[in-house]
Amino acid sequence: MIILLMIALLLVFALLAWSVEKYLIQAPKIIALIALVIVSLLFCFQLFQAEHSFETWTVIVDATWIEAFNIKLQFSLDQLSILLISLTLLLACIAIAISWQEVSERQGFYYFNILCAIAGIIGVFVASDVFLFFVFWEVMLLPITALIAIWGHESRYFAAVKFFVFTQVSSLCMLVAIIMLAFMHQQQVGQFSFLYSDWQQLAFSPETATFLMIGFFIAFAVKLPSVPFHSWLPDAHTQAPTAGSVLLAGVLLKTGAYGLIRFVILLFPNASMQFAPIAMTLGVVSILYGAKMAFAQSDCKRLIAYSSISHMGFVMMALFAFNYNAFNGAIVTIIAHGISSAALFCLAGMIYHRIHTRDLARMGNIALSAPWMAGVTLVFVAAAFGIPGLANFIGEFFSLLGVFAVSPLHALLATLGMIGSAIYGLRLFQTAFHGVKPDNTATKIEDLSIREGAICLVLAVLLLLIGIYPQALLQFTFQGGY
Amino acid sequence: MSLNTWLLLTPQLLIALGVVCCLLLISWQRSQQLIAWFTLMVMLVTIVATVSLIGQTAVHITELIYVDSFSLVAFLWVLLAGFSAVYMSKAYLHSHLEVHDEFYLLLLLTVLGAGVLVASDHFASLFLGFELLSISLVGLTGYFRHQRHAIEVSFKYLILSASASSFMLLGIAFLYSQTGSLSFVQIQPENADNMIAQMGFLLFIAGIGFKLSLVPFHFWTPDVYQGSPTPVTFVLATISKSAMFIALAKCIYVEGFQTLVALPSIHHALSALAIISMIVGNCLALGQNNIKRILAFSSIAHMGYLMIVLLVHQQQSILLARQAVLFYLFAYLIANIAIFGMLVLIERDRNVGNNIELAHWKGMFWHSPYKAFVLIVAVLSLIGIPLTGGFIGKFYLMILAANNALWPLLIALIVGSGIALGYYLPMIFQLFKQDVVKISHITTWRTRLWLSVIFLLSIGVGILPDVIITPLLNF
Repeated sequence: MIILLMIALLLVFALLAWSVEKYLIQAPKIIALIALVIVSLLFCFQLFQAEHSFETWTVIVDATWIEAFNIKLQFSLDQLSILLISLTLLLACIAIAISWQEVSERQGFYYFNILCAIAGIIGVFVASDVFLFFVFWEVMLLPITALIAIWGHESRYFAAVKFFVFTQVSSLCMLVAIIMLAFMHQQQVGQFSFLYSDWQQLAFSPETATFLMIGFFIAFAVKLPSVPFHSWLPDAHTQAPTAGSVLLAGVLLKTGAYGLIRFVILLFPNASMQFAPIAMTLGVVSILYGAKMAFAQSDCKRLIAYSSISHMGFVMMALFAFNYNAFNGAIVTIIAHGISSAALFCLAGMIYHRIHTRDLARMGNIALSAPWMAGVTLVFVAAAFGIPGLANFIGEFFSLLGVFAVSPLHALLATLGMIGSAIYGLRLFQTAFHGVKPDNTATKIEDLSIREGAICLVLAVLLLLIGIYPQALLQFTFQGGY
Repeated sequence: MSLNTWLLLTPQLLIALGVVCCLLLISWQRSQQLIAWFTLMVMLVTIVATVSLIGQTAVHITELIYVDSFSLVAFLWVLLAGFSAVYMSKAYLHSHLEVHDEFYLLLLLTVLGAGVLVASDHFASLFLGFELLSISLVGLTGYFRHQRHAIEVSFKYLILSASASSFMLLGIAFLYSQTGSLSFVQIQPENADNMIAQMGFLLFIAGIGFKLSLVPFHFWTPDVYQGSPTPVTFVLATISKSAMFIALAKCIYVEGFQTLVALPSIHHALSALAIISMIVGNCLALGQNNIKRILAFSSIAHMGYLMIVLLVHQQQSILLARQAVLFYLFAYLIANIAIFGMLVLIERDRNVGNNIELAHWKGMFWHSPYKAFVLIVAVLSLIGIPLTGGFIGKFYLMILAANNALWPLLIALIVGSGIALGYYLPMIFQLFKQDVVKISHITTWRTRLWLSVIFLLSIGVGILPDVIITPLLNF
C-alpha cells in the first residue's frame, strides 16, 4: 500500500501547498520540499522492507476499481520502475530547488502543479493495470500543461496547446489498442481484463499484433520524441519555466522510453522485432536531425531541446536493437540524459534569471565574471557530448556497441551524431561564456549562489559517479534484459 | 389494467399534476417566488418517485407507453436537468421586473414532453412528446420578447421545428404504409426492408436529427443557442437532446428496427451522419468567441460521438450500448450544468446581458478559484480527460465501436477529439489569463453548496463510477 500512500500524500500536500499560500507566501515551496522528502523516505522504506529483489514485475497493491469492465487498481514494481522513480524523485527535488527564487507569483498553485505532475509520473511507472496506466499517463499531462501555460515564456499558450494536442491524440491511438487488447481477452477468456499479466497470456495473429503494437508505439514515440512526431518538443521546452523544462526533459521523455520497453518490446516481442529496422532508422534519423537542428539554434533552451531529441534517438535505436549491451546502454542513456539535460536546463534558467534573454547572440563573456558557472557548464556540456568518464559516454558507448553487432550501418551513422553533439555543445559553451558580446558592453553577472552551486554539484557528482562506476546501474537485472 | 401498472407512470403523472397546479397557482396569486419554489418542489418529489421506481419490472401501459428501467433512468436525467434549469432560472429571472410565472409553466411542460418521449413505445406517443417539447421550447426561446434576438430566435426555431416534424410525420407514414403498425414492437423485420420503409426511416431520422442538431440539420443550433435566455439554452442542450436521443435509441434497439438499421444503406447513412457531425461540429467551433456558440457547435460533435451507440449490431452489445447512452448523457448533463450555471452567475455578476464572450472568463481562476475549478473540470469532462465522467463516457463509446468494428467512426472520434482541443483548451487558458478588471463575485452559501455538489458529481462519476452511477444502470 505504500505506493498508493506516496501518491495520495503527494496530492494531499499539493492541495495543502495551494491552500496555505493565502496565509504564508513562502510556505508552498517548503511544503513541497517536505512532501518530496517524506515520499522519498517512504519509497526507501518500501524497498527495504520488501523481501523480493524486484527482478520481475512484482504486484504490490491489488484492489478492484471499476467492476463493470473488470478494471483493477494494481501497482507493481521492478528494478526498471524503481530506477525511474528514483530519478523522478531526484529531479523533482532539483525542480523545486531551481524554482526557489525564480518563481515569485502564485507560488501555491505552482507547487500544486509540480507535486501533481510528480504523483502522475510515479503512477505511470508503477501501474500494472493498463487502464490505470492510461489514466496516469493522461492526468500527468494536465499539470505540466498548466506549468507551461501559466508560468511559461512569451508564446506559452501556443506551446501548451501544441503539447497537449500531440500527446492527447497519440494517446487516443494507444487507448484504442488498449481497448482492443481488453476485448481480445474477453473473446479468448470470456471476461474483460486490463491487467498486464493477463495480456501476456494472450495469443494473437502477427497482423493483429503489429497493429496493436503500432498503436502503442505512436503514443510512446510522440512522448520520446522520435522524428516525425517531435515538433511539440522544442516549443514546449523553450516556453516552459525552468522547472517545467527539467521535468519535461528529465522525466517526461523517459515515460516514453519506459512505455516502449514495457508495452511495445516486452508485450509484443515478435511484432517489435519485425518493426525494429524501421524503429532503429527513426532513432538514427532523430540523432542526426536533432544534432543538426541543435546546431542551428540561437535560443539556448531550444538548442538543448533539440539535443534531447538527438539523445533520445540513441535510446530508441538501442532499444530496438534487441541486444543485451544495447539494452543496458539505453537504460544508462535514459538516466544519464535525465540528469545532464536537467542540469543544462537548470543552467539555462540561471542565465535567464540573470540577463533575461535566452538568445545566444546576446550573451558572451559570462566566464569572466562567473567562473564557477562556466566551470560547471563545461562539465555538463562535456557530459552531453559524451566525454569518457561521464555517464552519457557509458550509455552511448554501450548502445553503439550493441547496435553495431546488429546493424553496423546504423551504428556508424549514429556515431556521426556524437560528433554533431560535440559541435553544438562547444558552440553553446563558447558563444555564451567566452564569445564577445556583440555590443561590446561588459556586464558583470553574479556567479552561482550556494543553492545553485549545490544543485549543480549534486548533478555533476551523479554524472561522474555513473561515468566512473557504471556497474552501479548495470548490476540491476532488468526484466527486459533479454 | 391494474393500479400497479399506473404506478410506473407516476413521475409523468406527477409532472402533469404539477402543470395543472401551476395554472391554478397563477390564477390564484401571481408571485414569482412562490411558483419557483413550487416548481422546484414538484421536480424534487418527482425525482424521489422516479428513483424509488427504478428496478421495477418493465410494463406496457396501453400500447403507447413502455416503462422500463432504461426510460426511468433517462427520465431521472431529464428531471435533474429540469431541476437545475429551474434553479438557474431563479437566479436569472431575479433581475427582471416582470412576474415570470409562465416561464416555469413552460419549463414543466418541456419536462413533461421529455417524459412522454423517453417512455414512448409508439410513433403516436413519440410524436406527442416531440411536439409538446418543441412547442413549449418555442415559447421559452423567445420568452424575453424585448431582447434583441428573441423574436428571430423563436421564429427560427418554430419554422425549422415545424418542418422537422413534418418530415418526421412523412417518414412515420411511409413506415406505417409498409409495416401496418405504429407500435415499435409490432414492426416486423420481414416487411421492413424495402425502399419505402428505408425512405421512411431516413425521413424519421432527419426529423430527430434536427432536434439533435446532427450535421446537415444543424443550422439553427448556434443562433438559437446564442439568442435564447441562458437557462433555456441549457434546456435545449440537455433535456431536449437527451430525451430525443433516448427516444431514438428505444426505437432503434427494437428487434424489428434492428434488421432495418443493419441494412448497408441505412448503416452507411447513419455512419455518415455521425462522422460528418463529429468533424464539422468540431471544426465550426474553432475560432468562435461566444461561449454559447462554442457549446452549440460542440454539442453537434457530442451528438455525433453518441451516434456510435446506435450503430451496434451485435445483440450482446445492445445492453452495453444502453448503459453507454445513459452514462454519456449523464456526464454531458453534469458538464453542462456546471458551465451553464456558471454562465448565469457571470451574467448576473458582470451585468453583460445574454452574450458571454470568452473574454468574460478572463482571469477568473485568480479571483474566484473554486468557481473556475468547477468550470475547468466541466470542460475537461467535455474533452474526455481521465478522472472525469466524460472520459468514462468516451471509453464506453470506444469499447462499443471496437467491439462492433466501426473503424471509420472510431477514427472520426479520435480526429474529432483532436480538433476539439483547439477550442476547449483556449477556454481553460482564458481562465488563467491575467485580468485587469477585478470583479467581485457574490457567493452565497447556496451557490457554494451547488458548486460543491456539481464538482463532486463530475469528479465522482469519473473516479468511482461503480459507486455513483452503475447501480442505476444495471438493468
